[in-house]
Amino acid sequence: MTATLNGYILLSALLFAIGFLGVLVRRNTLVIFMCLELMLVASTLALVAFSRFNGTQDGNTFVFFILTVAAAEVAVGLALIVALFRSRRTVQVDELNALKH
Amino acid sequence: MGSLLFQLFALLTVTAAVGVVANRNAVNAAMCLLLCLVGVAGLFVQLDAYLLAFLLLLVYAGAIVALFLFIIMLLDVPGRSAWNLRKLPTLAGLVAFALLLAGLGSLVARGQLRAPNPNATEGVGAALKPYAYQLFTTYLLPVQVMGFLLLVAMLGVIVLSRKVDGPEDAK
Amino acid sequence: MPPFSTHFVLLEPLIAAGIIALFLRRRGQWAAGISVFAAVMIAIRALKMALVGGRFEGAWEWLRLGNFSISIGYKYDDLAALMLCVVGVVGLCIHVFSLGYMRDDAAKARYFGGLSIFMFSMIGIVLADNLFMMFIFWELVGFSSWLLIGHWHEKYSASEAAKKAFITNRVGDFGFLLGIIWCYWANGTVNLTELGHGHVFSTAIPLLLFCGAVGKSAQLPLQVWLPDAMEGPTPVSALIHAATMVAAGVYMLCRINVLMVPDALTVIMWTGAATALYAACCAITQRDIKKVLAYSTLSQLGYMVAAFGLGSISRYSPTPPVILSDGTVSPEHFHVNVVVATGVAAAMFHLTTHAFFKALLFLGSGSVIHGCHHEQDIFKMGGLRARMPLTFWTFTIGVAAIIGLPGLAGFFSKDAILYLAFANNKAVFAVLAFTAVLTALYMTRLWRLTFFGEPRSESAAHAHEGGLTLTLPLVVLAILAAIGGYVAIYPKVFTGVFDLIPEAHGANHTTILITSLVVLLLGAGTALMFYKPAATDALQEKAPGLFRFLAAKLWFDEIYQWYIDKVQQRFALLLNFLEQIFLAGLIVRGFAGVVGLFGIGARALHVGKLNAYVYWFLFGVVVLWLFAAGIF
Repeated sequence: MTATLNGYILLSALLFAIGFLGVLVRRNTLVIFMCLELMLVASTLALVAFSRFNGTQDGNTFVFFILTVAAAEVAVGLALIVALFRSRRTVQVDELNALKH
Repeated sequence: MGSLLFQLFALLTVTAAVGVVANRNAVNAAMCLLLCLVGVAGLFVQLDAYLLAFLLLLVYAGAIVALFLFIIMLLDVPGRSAWNLRKLPTLAGLVAFALLLAGLGSLVARGQLRAPNPNATEGVGAALKPYAYQLFTTYLLPVQVMGFLLLVAMLGVIVLSRKVDGPEDAK
Repeated sequence: MPPFSTHFVLLEPLIAAGIIALFLRRRGQWAAGISVFAAVMIAIRALKMALVGGRFEGAWEWLRLGNFSISIGYKYDDLAALMLCVVGVVGLCIHVFSLGYMRDDAAKARYFGGLSIFMFSMIGIVLADNLFMMFIFWELVGFSSWLLIGHWHEKYSASEAAKKAFITNRVGDFGFLLGIIWCYWANGTVNLTELGHGHVFSTAIPLLLFCGAVGKSAQLPLQVWLPDAMEGPTPVSALIHAATMVAAGVYMLCRINVLMVPDALTVIMWTGAATALYAACCAITQRDIKKVLAYSTLSQLGYMVAAFGLGSISRYSPTPPVILSDGTVSPEHFHVNVVVATGVAAAMFHLTTHAFFKALLFLGSGSVIHGCHHEQDIFKMGGLRARMPLTFWTFTIGVAAIIGLPGLAGFFSKDAILYLAFANNKAVFAVLAFTAVLTALYMTRLWRLTFFGEPRSESAAHAHEGGLTLTLPLVVLAILAAIGGYVAIYPKVFTGVFDLIPEAHGANHTTILITSLVVLLLGAGTALMFYKPAATDALQEKAPGLFRFLAAKLWFDEIYQWYIDKVQQRFALLLNFLEQIFLAGLIVRGFAGVVGLFGIGARALHVGKLNAYVYWFLFGVVVLWLFAAGIF
């Protein structure tokens, strides 16, 4: 039995949802970031699946860009977290709540 | 539901993903992310996207997760509770989880997606040449923008990681 | 088309005032120089335009709101030429007099700026060719009057008097504005020339427009501001409240002559006559030299208004009503066939001569006040005949002119009015003749008490003449007051006005001549016998009841004050209360509060917790989903 497109899509959705749950539930900012990356990976999976089953090249090529963006985002985001840590001495997300009314 | 290989790798991926969310220790979570990426790379191979699989492992698993590990080790903070498990946020999280699944699943269930023949086009992502061709013609502008984006990100990181001079530093 | 120099005559005083206001607030001498220079230019231009230039009209559209447009234009006919010359010449004399009189004043720049603004506004009224423009400058004149009456605003009575003048004028202007709007609505135009070509018959419109004259020219019942306006400096009283501004009301009446109907004219006539009599009665009891002259001005203005009411009878030929194409009936249109504008001529003639001799009298009193070191009570003067000879002689000429000594200016103009009254309405003639007796009485009283006898105070004993700037205008105005009655000396250019002055012939001529002589001798003789130069008022001593009654001035001030205190103030407080609750509270702060509530609501979203923001993201995604799935 070969894999169907629906299977890949469902898998991608599941991964995405798990990542989202992680963003909501975890306290450590770094782990939240990792779950964010998980969501990105899920989207790349969906893209490649579509590209394979529709016979186009575009989805594959787009994964390049997603990879690049993810790299840049991680770099800058981690730099931000480090800078935040320097001033606040914490990476727990519920302690980083100074921007409230 | 799919071939055996697909099921195996899918199981690996999902388990690792749950591991990322469920692990108390941040380093463990990073390791689970690594495993998850390996699983996804396997899935890519099954989809005949060999180049992408290797790229995933090289860039994501090799560089990004390594960077994560560096920073986790750098900010060596003894964590208190790892999860935000108060009642309302947890419930809301589960609801969100269900919503997402339901939303995407409904697309599948209603049969909106065409289910083409998987053998129709053989290995469309296997060869290297189409990638290069597309990158230099159709997606030329995004490539240039990506370059710019990387430059900006690099500059941003350099600026952000500068130490803030205190009043006691004479410069 | 108007020659370009017309714009100069209007704008020069405005530019002078602008320069003074912007740059010369602290430099009194410079401000005085610029203002006097502007006055010289105005006088020269006015005379040149009248004598050498032609008569013209021209207009430019200024403001357009859909179908309605206000235009600014000039209507320079003989009437305007005459008035402009009067304003220019008298204005120049008074500007020169102010140089000397206000030499030691602290706020000289503000004073001369106000004078220039006044000249600008007055010339605007004179040259205006439509009622809207005239109204604009009318209000400007009221403003400059307020500014100048309240020149010494540190004194409470002066600022109160300025406020009173402005508000009383406002009451009259309300009627004026209603009349203008009604005229526009009924006739479709407020242009004076176009109104002359045809207008709708109406009694209310000219009466409403007359309200403006009642306010500006201080007729009954709005005369209360003019005596109080004497709080301003004497040259201001001379220029504004004797010669020009108060005459603007009469000038306006002459301008709207074409709109007059017999009923309105009767009302105008009786108002003028009543004012003349009332003011003359009040003048007998006054102690302040300027107040006497103020009431005298009121009386003479009453003469002018009554003259206008007597004579301007136009003969109308009515056109029959026409049934228009849409079935309605057109209003009756009255085309003016023959306008016997003798009233206009008599009123303008008296306005001209009055400008000369009243300005002379005021400036003379200013010289007296200046000489006696700001003493204004005539019972504390005396003996000035020997000490201030030039002032004495010029003042005498002025007094003689106003009481109608044969040969001087006032004699001819007053005779013209008396003849008009005699020919048209004997009752008014009797009133005006009696007023003339009173005029002679109080003017002679003033003259006697001020200049004759022994000095009754220290300041009078040390009186001296002022400098050249104070005496030269007096001489010029005295000459004009003496010869200003001989119509022949006026250049032919004013024929449009002066040709129409009524002259008595034959038996009427003798009657009028005898009347005026009898009036003169009766009044002057009584005063000479009754009022010996003394420190107290003879009438007050001999007939205290009569004196008190006359001095009460028919309790106008008291009645108005009661109204303001009891009725108007309460109403104003009620309105204030309503405004605080509803307008300021409910509407203004209410709306602000609603916006504030929105702000508070939006602020509540910023909880500071990352998780909350992620939930909002999800919410947005769900909305988009539902949208894409077609549920919305």
